[in-house]
Amino acid sequence: MRRLLVHQPPTVNCLWRETTMAALRTRVGCLLQGFFSSSKIPRSSFDIRFDGCVTQVRFKGGPATPRFRHPVWHVRKERAHYPENLTAENKEFIRETISQDFGPPIVAHGVKTYDSPLKNIEKIEPVQWFPGIRRTSTIAKKIGIQPLWLNDGTRVMTTLLQIVDNHVIKYNPPDQVIPLRRRHKVIPKKVLGKFGALIVGAESADPQEFTKNYCGLFRESGLPPKRKLARFLISPEAVLPSGTPLNAMHYRVGDYIDATGFTIQRGFQGVMKRWGFKGQPATHGQTKTHRRPGSIGGGAGHRVWPGKKMPGHMGGRHRTLRALKILRINTEYNVLYVTGQNIPGQINSYIYVHDSLSHHRWVKDAKDAWPLPTYIPTETEVPENLYASDVHPFDAPSITYEIVDTPVVRTGAKIAKAKGSKK
Amino acid sequence: MAFYVSRLSLGLELRRLGCKTMRCSGVDCRSSSSTSTTLAPRSLADDGKTDKLGRREKKNLMMSESVDKPDLNLRFKYPEMFPEPFMIWRNPVKEKLERKDMLARRNCISIPEFYVGSVLRVNLSNIHQPDKVSSFVGICIERKETGLRASITLRNVIDNLGVEIKLELYDPRLLKIEVLRLERRLDPHLRYLRDAPPEYSTFPLDMKPDINRSDEVPLNRIKVKLNPRPWTENWHKIEYKGIDESIDDLITNKWKARRELLRKPWEKYDLMKTYRATLPEEEMEEILTEIKDDVEEHDRKHSRRQS
Repeated sequence: MRRLLVHQPPTVNCLWRETTMAALRTRVGCLLQGFFSSSKIPRSSFDIRFDGCVTQVRFKGGPATPRFRHPVWHVRKERAHYPENLTAENKEFIRETISQDFGPPIVAHGVKTYDSPLKNIEKIEPVQWFPGIRRTSTIAKKIGIQPLWLNDGTRVMTTLLQIVDNHVIKYNPPDQVIPLRRRHKVIPKKVLGKFGALIVGAESADPQEFTKNYCGLFRESGLPPKRKLARFLISPEAVLPSGTPLNAMHYRVGDYIDATGFTIQRGFQGVMKRWGFKGQPATHGQTKTHRRPGSIGGGAGHRVWPGKKMPGHMGGRHRTLRALKILRINTEYNVLYVTGQNIPGQINSYIYVHDSLSHHRWVKDAKDAWPLPTYIPTETEVPENLYASDVHPFDAPSITYEIVDTPVVRTGAKIAKAKGSKK
Repeated sequence: MAFYVSRLSLGLELRRLGCKTMRCSGVDCRSSSSTSTTLAPRSLADDGKTDKLGRREKKNLMMSESVDKPDLNLRFKYPEMFPEPFMIWRNPVKEKLERKDMLARRNCISIPEFYVGSVLRVNLSNIHQPDKVSSFVGICIERKETGLRASITLRNVIDNLGVEIKLELYDPRLLKIEVLRLERRLDPHLRYLRDAPPEYSTFPLDMKPDINRSDEVPLNRIKVKLNPRPWTENWHKIEYKGIDESIDDLITNKWKARRELLRKPWEKYDLMKTYRATLPEEEMEEILTEIKDDVEEHDRKHSRRQS
């Protein structure tokens, strides 16, 4: 069915071949280059949570230095934008073809997308929760920071994460999953073959922006190409059919999430900014030594130990901030208001939002479980703003404190006296 | 907010240059009479330097051009509704959501029109007070940040001790803001009152509202005489209009020479700098049309409640 929808206009394809020039022809013709076939996938840094390890492990090696990384997906995404000198008719024709395949361009939930004909293709059935089940994560955009106030008047800074037009693109069962590239090349056995990989894409875009190989990745699902792709490891029970949209209702207010992103690039930085060293005095005979690290070792070792904190490149690392509480959800624009103003990444950059893996924030009972495998829309309308129980909504009246009459506390002596008098 | 204030001061120069930015049209707008009698904000007092003929021509032109366009004067009334024009931090969805929240909060309490230099009384829920409410009277010496983070600083001298409180305008603990004296000053901020004699920032706590109900917000041209050094900031470096010339007697000749070196008289002609520090006029109009209806309704509602 889906396949039909994509291939449907054979006449258009013929027309295409006949009419337009070579550049055009090569672009829209979709190729499936065995993208998700297991043998050819390179190990990528996007298999974010392969190991369930949460505790920080320190070892001699220290943090890896940022180095050149291969493209995350093995197909090339960006194409060269050479001048094509298209006529107005040709441009119109391309627009028509795109809207025939993916629907007319619209703005939904504050995001530019296509009104895709793939809507609710397969019905999702709710899944029973069991300990250790892992459902899919989502791709969000960090759109800004603002304060919220709690009912007791406390001010909390929150980060706004907008879940931008997420769709499931493909599922790889556990036996086809190749784990992420690891530094020590040791893959924990307990996770091998346990999780499948769900490929999720965010923000539909014009296929003309990408190479034909990249567009081919989306052919099977019948979706327009996505700006951002990510592979999330999930339990096979929580699998979702391709084409399923994911929105902010995937989460609930009061839940805890982990947010992963690339930290802001700071460039080559000194030891004070990079590691928070104290520096050295401004005066008292200091000569050219104010922001320097000082001694870096000595004694019996006569060497510099690996992992020594020194100046170097700062930022641009893959980092996760854990156990952030969702204080509010805007269901119209799919925005999560999440505690903390230090979520890695610049504003308008992509963030991966996972269910929290912190031990004390983990769901431990079926009655506390999040919607599984995802939120299934019902006929009842969801309010635009959902607040956690301790958050003060902006349309509520001002906070006032009750005057409580504190009872007069009797001192020890008086109590003793009273007791004595009774006797 | 800092950008926004600089916008006010830069208006005149830009108009001279014929640059089409917000300031330029803002200066023209100040003289134009407000359309509706009660709801539209009182136009700001002009500096008396603009050419009258030119102004009249511009006014007619504007009126003939746009009937549906919102009154641009409103932007002085709700400065925190306009985002900081720093492109890296901006996102349209976030700004829209934030504005919605601000309007929802304005529906609950009245946040009146005031400027730096106005005297305000605020009531705030305070859990540490015996009656759970604290109130403060003071002159607004600074108005900072935009959006829900918008804050003001009030200053007063109580028992010969300077007291300042910083308030967030959209804090739900805020119960009431009352304007006791509505006026503007010559500078974007009055932090220099910290280094001035106490009489400039002393206001009785039982001060009664004294508002001249005219169409124009009066401009207070008072010049403040500073105390001798040491100061909290280097007031001599920037030419504040509200600081008295006697400041020259308080600094050394070396400082004076340094001040001459640090001056940047060419900056007012730097169009790119202005462009980066301002919102385009179209965007301002868009925001104003978005908030206009709500804001008028709030005004009506709160004025009824007061009367």
